[in-house]
Amino acid sequence: MIEGFRLGVFSRGTTLWDGLDFAFGDAAAWFVTGPPSSGKTLLLSILRGERRPDAGDVLVSGESLYRGNAALARAWRASCGYIPEQTVADAHLTVGDLFRRSALAGGGVRESERKDRTDRLLEMVGLQGASGWKIAELSISERGRASLAAELLRGPKVLFCDGLVAGAGVPFWEMLWGLFRALAREGNTVILAERRIPERWALAGGDPKPVGPFRVYRLPIPEAVVKGEPG
Amino acid sequence: MSEQTSLWWIDWRLSRLPLVRETIGRFLFFCLLGFALLSLLLSGGASRFLADRYAITAVLRADVPSAEAEGLARKVAALPPVRSAAYRDPEAAWKEFLRAYPGLDPLRGAGRNPMPGYIEIRIRPDRLTRADVDLVASALRSVPLVEQVLAGEEWLPRLLRADRLAFWAGWGIFSAFLAGFFLVGRLQERGRAVALAGDFAFLVERGVPTGRMVFFRAASAAVSGFLLAAAGTATGGGALFLFLRKFPFLEGGIGPPSDLLLPRTLAVAVLFSCGVALLSAAASLLGWRAARSGRK
Repeated sequence: MIEGFRLGVFSRGTTLWDGLDFAFGDAAAWFVTGPPSSGKTLLLSILRGERRPDAGDVLVSGESLYRGNAALARAWRASCGYIPEQTVADAHLTVGDLFRRSALAGGGVRESERKDRTDRLLEMVGLQGASGWKIAELSISERGRASLAAELLRGPKVLFCDGLVAGAGVPFWEMLWGLFRALAREGNTVILAERRIPERWALAGGDPKPVGPFRVYRLPIPEAVVKGEPG
Repeated sequence: MSEQTSLWWIDWRLSRLPLVRETIGRFLFFCLLGFALLSLLLSGGASRFLADRYAITAVLRADVPSAEAEGLARKVAALPPVRSAAYRDPEAAWKEFLRAYPGLDPLRGAGRNPMPGYIEIRIRPDRLTRADVDLVASALRSVPLVEQVLAGEEWLPRLLRADRLAFWAGWGIFSAFLAGFFLVGRLQERGRAVALAGDFAFLVERGVPTGRMVFFRAASAAVSGFLLAAAGTATGGGALFLFLRKFPFLEGGIGPPSDLLLPRTLAVAVLFSCGVALLSAAASLLGWRAARSGRK
């Protein structure tokens, strides 16, 4: 459970938002929407333990990220995956490099295992054989999907995605929809921040909870189907 | 919440090709530096060359029996600064004189050898100092059998000054190359830290402590620096060994190849490798700091 209590951010001489309360339960896919410049990226940074809020606190499993042990905050960040809205554009960086450093952050994965999983994950996000491609030569959609696949290599318990759905484009929404719900069903938590939610997802998510400038949706998680049982 | 990330050889794992190039360059550099280090160490600058050419001559009285003269030579050879002490009897001295000044045979016309016997004393290269020469000369002068001691005291200070200058010049040039390694290494480390800045930021964002990353980078640099310096010095030493075997006349200036295996030589090689390890770690730390602050 990730909880934000009375969160406030004061930026550019004004109050961006203040007194916001959030509660993101485990094993669920959450969708946070908000207008441009409402502080969605900032909210994700605060929830990941990267940026201390100007007011309030974030609790993860009951422990404060900002007022508690620094090692706990680091351990929390280590268990998180993050796909930023602005992906890297280093001229020399390849898709394979993303996986290499993701593996390093995850405590080291054997070379053969990494390559095997890299191929499978890239195929899953529609980027078969992209390991040697340069990031700078990829489209926004491809960059986002490559980053997502690289993060999934480590198997993060919590996945933060900033503008991924919009960046990936309509043809990949179905794939992302299935992926996020599958991750949640396996016990992971997914938190997405977007300007707007795809219509079908909004319908499935039901009424959002308004929190300051944001709308928070909880996406429905399908029940696990047990093979062999009579329908 | 997650297992501890191993950060050993992090640069190697993130960027192999540039690191391989750097490593090959450093290895070749340490081969040359190791060759120079061992040459300097064995030769002592110009000490071995000068010690090979410098000798103290103790001219004996005319009536000294050979047995006593040889006994004295043995005692002199036992003095700490002395490398060798050889007795030449009057007959051998006369022959040497004639080789040096041919045509002076008539000087022995009366049938009596005018040359006295003498002891030629060579000083160890590492003990070629004014104090040690004075020690040997004064010890000889106090012996009644000795008529005169020729130690070249009037030009010895100039010889020793030249020896000192050659010593400092040799080690100065060596130190300059080592400092050059440090400066170039720091620039390389900075360049690598800048090139991998995205990777490091990625890791920090995912809970890897910056301090731990900096420490392991420096530790890896130290270990690889030590291994490279040791391997380079060993290769340079091997080359020097073959060089001395191929050109034995160089032994007079540098020393015998067997000296390369003396414990003292090995200890200096290990110390050198440790020094390189420290410099490599410092270059890594400073390179990281410079990359972070954006300075050159």
